[in-house]
Amino acid sequence: IHLVAGFSSIRERTIAENSLVILLQGLQGQVTTVDLRDESTARGHVVNVDAFMNIRLKKVLHRDRRGRLTQLEDLFVTGRNVRYVHIPDHMDIMETIQGQLAKSHRVRNFAGGRKEYAKKKS
Amino acid sequence: METEASIITSLPLGFPTCLFELKMHIYLKRQQMLFCCTTNTVEEPLDLIRLSLDERIYVKMRNDRELRGRLHAYDQHLNMILGDVEETVTTVEIDEETYEELYKSTKRNIPMLFVRGDGVVLVAPPLRVG
Repeated sequence: IHLVAGFSSIRERTIAENSLVILLQGLQGQVTTVDLRDESTARGHVVNVDAFMNIRLKKVLHRDRRGRLTQLEDLFVTGRNVRYVHIPDHMDIMETIQGQLAKSHRVRNFAGGRKEYAKKKS
Repeated sequence: METEASIITSLPLGFPTCLFELKMHIYLKRQQMLFCCTTNTVEEPLDLIRLSLDERIYVKMRNDRELRGRLHAYDQHLNMILGDVEETVTTVEIDEETYEELYKSTKRNIPMLFVRGDGVVLVAPPLRVG
Protein backbone atom coordinates (compact mmCIF):
# COMPACT_ATOMS: atom_id res chain seq x y z
CA ILE A 1 0.00 0.00 0.00
CA HIS A 2 1.88 3.04 -1.13
CA LEU A 3 -0.89 5.59 -0.70
CA VAL A 4 -3.82 4.96 1.58
CA ALA A 5 -6.46 7.56 0.75
CA GLY A 6 -3.87 10.33 0.47
CA PHE A 7 -1.92 9.46 3.65
CA SER A 8 1.75 8.66 3.40
CA SER A 9 1.56 5.89 5.98
CA ILE A 10 -0.76 4.02 8.29
CA ARG A 11 0.78 5.89 11.18
CA GLU A 12 -0.20 9.24 9.68
CA ARG A 13 -3.68 8.01 9.06
CA THR A 14 -4.08 6.95 12.69
CA ILE A 15 -2.77 10.23 13.99
CA ALA A 16 -5.09 12.19 11.73
CA GLU A 17 -8.19 10.12 12.41
CA ASN A 18 -7.83 10.61 16.14
CA SER A 19 -7.68 14.38 16.08
CA LEU A 20 -9.37 17.38 14.51
CA VAL A 21 -6.74 17.53 11.76
CA ILE A 22 -9.10 15.27 9.86
CA LEU A 23 -11.38 18.26 9.45
CA LEU A 24 -8.57 20.35 7.99
CA GLN A 25 -7.90 17.56 5.53
CA GLY A 26 -11.47 17.87 4.39
CA LEU A 27 -10.71 21.47 3.44
CA GLN A 28 -8.57 20.41 0.53
CA GLY A 29 -9.52 22.35 -2.56
CA GLN A 30 -11.18 25.20 -0.66
CA VAL A 31 -9.99 28.75 -0.22
CA THR A 32 -9.20 29.55 3.39
CA THR A 33 -7.17 31.91 5.49
CA VAL A 34 -4.48 30.49 7.74
CA ASP A 35 -3.28 32.68 10.58
CA LEU A 36 0.32 31.91 11.37
CA ARG A 37 2.11 31.99 14.68
CA ASP A 38 4.14 34.99 13.58
CA GLU A 39 0.95 37.04 13.22
CA SER A 40 1.00 36.90 9.43
CA THR A 41 -1.83 35.47 7.39
CA ALA A 42 -1.97 33.45 4.23
CA ARG A 43 -5.09 33.14 2.10
CA GLY A 44 -5.21 30.61 -0.69
CA HIS A 45 -6.35 27.22 -1.94
CA VAL A 46 -5.59 24.32 0.37
CA VAL A 47 -3.66 21.74 -1.61
CA ASN A 48 -2.88 19.31 1.17
CA VAL A 49 -2.90 19.00 4.95
CA ASP A 50 -1.02 16.17 6.61
CA ALA A 51 -1.44 14.57 10.01
CA PHE A 52 1.00 17.03 11.58
CA MET A 53 -1.04 19.99 10.32
CA ASN A 54 1.62 20.92 7.76
CA ILE A 55 -0.38 22.83 5.16
CA ARG A 56 0.40 23.33 1.51
CA LEU A 57 -1.38 26.24 -0.14
CA LYS A 58 -1.42 27.50 -3.70
CA LYS A 59 -2.22 30.87 -5.25
CA VAL A 60 -1.63 32.56 -1.96
CA LEU A 61 -1.95 36.12 -0.81
CA HIS A 62 0.38 36.47 2.15
CA ARG A 63 0.02 39.39 4.49
CA ASP A 64 2.88 39.84 6.94
CA ARG A 65 2.55 41.36 10.42
CA ARG A 66 3.04 44.83 9.04
CA GLY A 67 0.28 44.35 6.50
CA ARG A 68 2.52 44.06 3.47
CA LEU A 69 1.04 41.81 0.78
CA THR A 70 2.91 39.25 -1.27
CA GLN A 71 1.52 36.93 -3.92
CA LEU A 72 2.84 33.41 -3.84
CA GLU A 73 2.24 30.53 -6.17
CA ASP A 74 2.99 27.91 -3.55
CA LEU A 75 3.30 28.09 0.23
CA PHE A 76 4.16 25.38 2.72
CA VAL A 77 3.37 26.10 6.36
CA THR A 78 4.75 23.85 9.09
CA GLY A 79 2.10 22.57 11.47
CA ARG A 80 3.77 24.22 14.45
CA ASN A 81 3.45 27.61 12.82
CA VAL A 82 -0.30 27.45 12.41
CA ARG A 83 -2.30 29.46 14.89
CA TYR A 84 -5.79 29.50 13.33
CA VAL A 85 -7.46 28.19 10.23
CA HIS A 86 -10.58 30.03 9.14
CA ILE A 87 -13.26 27.59 8.17
CA PRO A 88 -15.39 28.66 5.18
CA ASP A 89 -18.94 29.56 6.18
CA HIS A 90 -20.64 27.10 3.88
CA MET A 91 -18.87 24.05 5.26
CA ASP A 92 -20.69 21.42 7.27
CA ILE A 93 -18.19 20.22 9.82
CA MET A 94 -19.75 16.88 10.76
CA GLU A 95 -20.31 15.99 7.13
CA THR A 96 -16.73 16.80 6.25
CA ILE A 97 -15.29 14.73 9.09
CA GLN A 98 -17.56 11.79 8.34
CA GLY A 99 -16.69 12.03 4.66
CA GLN A 100 -12.98 11.95 5.39
CA LEU A 101 -13.34 8.93 7.67
CA ALA A 102 -15.54 7.14 5.15
CA LYS A 103 -12.95 7.73 2.45
CA SER A 104 -10.14 6.12 4.38
CA HIS A 105 -12.28 3.22 5.55
CA ARG A 106 -13.38 2.53 2.00
CA VAL A 107 -9.82 2.30 0.78
CA ARG A 108 -8.77 0.24 3.77
CA ASN A 109 -11.39 -2.38 2.98
CA PHE A 110 -10.77 -2.25 -0.72
CA ALA A 111 -7.13 -3.14 -0.10
CA GLY A 112 -8.10 -6.55 1.29
CA GLY A 113 -10.25 -6.26 4.37
CA ARG A 114 -12.84 -8.74 5.50
CA LYS A 115 -15.39 -9.61 2.89
CA GLU A 116 -18.36 -8.62 4.96
CA TYR A 117 -17.14 -5.04 5.10
CA ALA A 118 -16.31 -4.92 1.44
CA LYS A 119 -17.60 -1.83 -0.27
CA LYS A 120 -17.65 -0.61 -3.79
CA LYS A 121 -14.92 1.96 -4.18
CA SER A 122 -16.64 4.99 -5.63
CA MET B 1 -14.13 -3.05 13.35
CA GLU B 2 -14.36 -0.42 16.06
CA THR B 3 -12.11 2.53 16.53
CA GLU B 4 -12.31 4.60 19.66
CA ALA B 5 -12.57 8.14 18.50
CA SER B 6 -10.82 10.97 20.21
CA ILE B 7 -12.80 13.64 18.42
CA ILE B 8 -15.61 14.86 20.59
CA THR B 9 -18.20 17.06 19.10
CA SER B 10 -21.56 18.56 19.87
CA LEU B 11 -22.66 19.02 16.28
CA PRO B 12 -25.97 17.48 15.28
CA LEU B 13 -25.57 13.73 14.98
CA GLY B 14 -28.83 13.05 13.21
CA PHE B 15 -30.20 10.89 16.02
CA PRO B 16 -30.93 11.45 19.70
CA THR B 17 -27.96 11.24 22.07
CA CYS B 18 -28.33 8.74 24.93
CA LEU B 19 -27.86 9.38 28.62
CA PHE B 20 -26.33 6.08 29.67
CA GLU B 21 -22.63 5.57 30.13
CA LEU B 22 -21.23 4.68 26.72
CA LYS B 23 -17.96 5.29 25.01
CA MET B 24 -17.83 7.25 21.81
CA HIS B 25 -17.13 4.98 18.88
CA ILE B 26 -17.01 5.33 15.16
CA TYR B 27 -18.57 2.11 13.99
CA LEU B 28 -17.98 0.65 10.62
CA LYS B 29 -20.94 -1.60 10.39
CA ARG B 30 -22.60 -2.74 7.22
CA GLN B 31 -21.71 0.40 5.33
CA GLN B 32 -23.03 2.65 8.06
CA MET B 33 -21.03 5.15 10.00
CA LEU B 34 -22.44 6.00 13.37
CA PHE B 35 -21.30 8.36 16.07
CA CYS B 36 -22.44 7.33 19.50
CA CYS B 37 -22.51 9.06 22.83
CA THR B 38 -19.71 10.06 25.14
CA THR B 39 -19.15 8.84 28.68
CA ASN B 40 -21.39 10.43 31.25
CA THR B 41 -18.91 10.56 34.10
CA VAL B 42 -16.20 13.17 34.48
CA GLU B 43 -13.03 11.14 34.64
CA GLU B 44 -10.27 13.45 33.58
CA PRO B 45 -9.68 17.18 33.04
CA LEU B 46 -10.61 16.95 29.37
CA ASP B 47 -14.03 15.74 30.41
CA LEU B 48 -14.62 19.11 32.04
CA ILE B 49 -14.24 20.70 28.63
CA ARG B 50 -16.72 18.20 27.28
CA LEU B 51 -19.28 19.70 29.65
CA SER B 52 -18.89 23.00 27.78
CA LEU B 53 -19.62 21.60 24.36
CA ASP B 54 -22.00 23.78 22.41
CA GLU B 55 -21.71 26.45 25.08
CA ARG B 56 -19.98 29.76 24.82
CA ILE B 57 -16.53 29.60 26.36
CA TYR B 58 -13.57 31.79 27.10
CA VAL B 59 -10.18 30.63 25.87
CA LYS B 60 -6.96 32.24 27.02
CA MET B 61 -4.21 31.82 24.45
CA ARG B 62 -0.52 32.53 24.32
CA ASN B 63 0.71 35.93 23.18
CA ASP B 64 -1.93 37.87 25.11
CA ARG B 65 -4.84 36.63 23.09
CA GLU B 66 -8.31 35.68 24.22
CA LEU B 67 -11.13 34.04 22.37
CA ARG B 68 -14.81 34.00 23.18
CA GLY B 69 -16.91 31.70 21.13
CA ARG B 70 -19.16 28.65 20.97
CA LEU B 71 -17.29 25.38 21.35
CA HIS B 72 -18.27 22.98 18.58
CA ALA B 73 -15.52 20.39 18.84
CA TYR B 74 -12.22 19.67 20.47
CA ASP B 75 -9.64 16.92 20.62
CA GLN B 76 -6.94 15.68 22.99
CA HIS B 77 -4.47 18.33 21.81
CA LEU B 78 -7.05 21.02 22.56
CA ASN B 79 -7.37 21.79 18.89
CA MET B 80 -10.81 23.37 18.87
CA ILE B 81 -13.48 24.48 16.52
CA LEU B 82 -15.16 27.65 17.72
CA GLY B 83 -18.14 29.36 16.16
CA ASP B 84 -19.01 33.07 16.32
CA VAL B 85 -15.64 33.92 17.78
CA GLU B 86 -14.43 37.20 19.08
CA GLU B 87 -10.64 37.41 19.34
CA THR B 88 -9.10 39.99 21.63
CA VAL B 89 -5.43 40.86 21.30
CA THR B 90 -4.06 42.95 24.16
CA THR B 91 -0.98 45.11 23.80
CA VAL B 92 0.82 47.27 26.30
CA GLU B 93 2.16 50.59 25.24
CA ILE B 94 4.37 52.59 27.53
CA ASP B 95 3.95 56.33 27.46
CA GLU B 96 7.34 57.90 26.83
CA GLU B 97 6.94 60.82 29.22
CA THR B 98 4.87 59.51 32.08
CA TYR B 99 6.01 55.86 31.77
CA GLU B 100 2.40 54.89 32.17
CA GLU B 101 1.32 51.54 30.87
CA LEU B 102 -1.44 51.88 28.34
CA TYR B 103 -3.36 48.67 27.68
CA LYS B 104 -4.86 48.49 24.23
CA SER B 105 -7.01 45.69 22.93
CA THR B 106 -7.93 44.90 19.35
CA LYS B 107 -10.94 42.76 18.63
CA ARG B 108 -12.10 40.92 15.57
CA ASN B 109 -14.94 38.56 14.79
CA ILE B 110 -14.65 35.31 12.89
CA PRO B 111 -17.67 33.10 12.05
CA MET B 112 -15.95 29.71 12.30
CA LEU B 113 -12.42 29.12 13.50
CA PHE B 114 -10.13 26.14 13.90
CA VAL B 115 -7.68 26.77 16.74
CA ARG B 116 -4.45 24.82 17.06
CA GLY B 117 -4.17 23.35 20.53
CA ASP B 118 -0.62 24.33 21.31
CA GLY B 119 -1.62 27.98 21.59
CA VAL B 120 -4.28 27.32 24.20
CA VAL B 121 -3.49 28.21 27.81
CA LEU B 122 -6.85 27.76 29.49
CA VAL B 123 -10.51 27.11 28.78
CA ALA B 124 -13.27 28.45 31.00
CA PRO B 125 -16.91 29.53 30.97
CA PRO B 126 -17.24 33.10 29.69
CA LEU B 127 -16.15 35.62 32.28
CA ARG B 128 -18.79 37.93 33.60
CA VAL B 129 -17.37 41.43 33.30
CA GLY B 130 -17.98 43.11 36.65
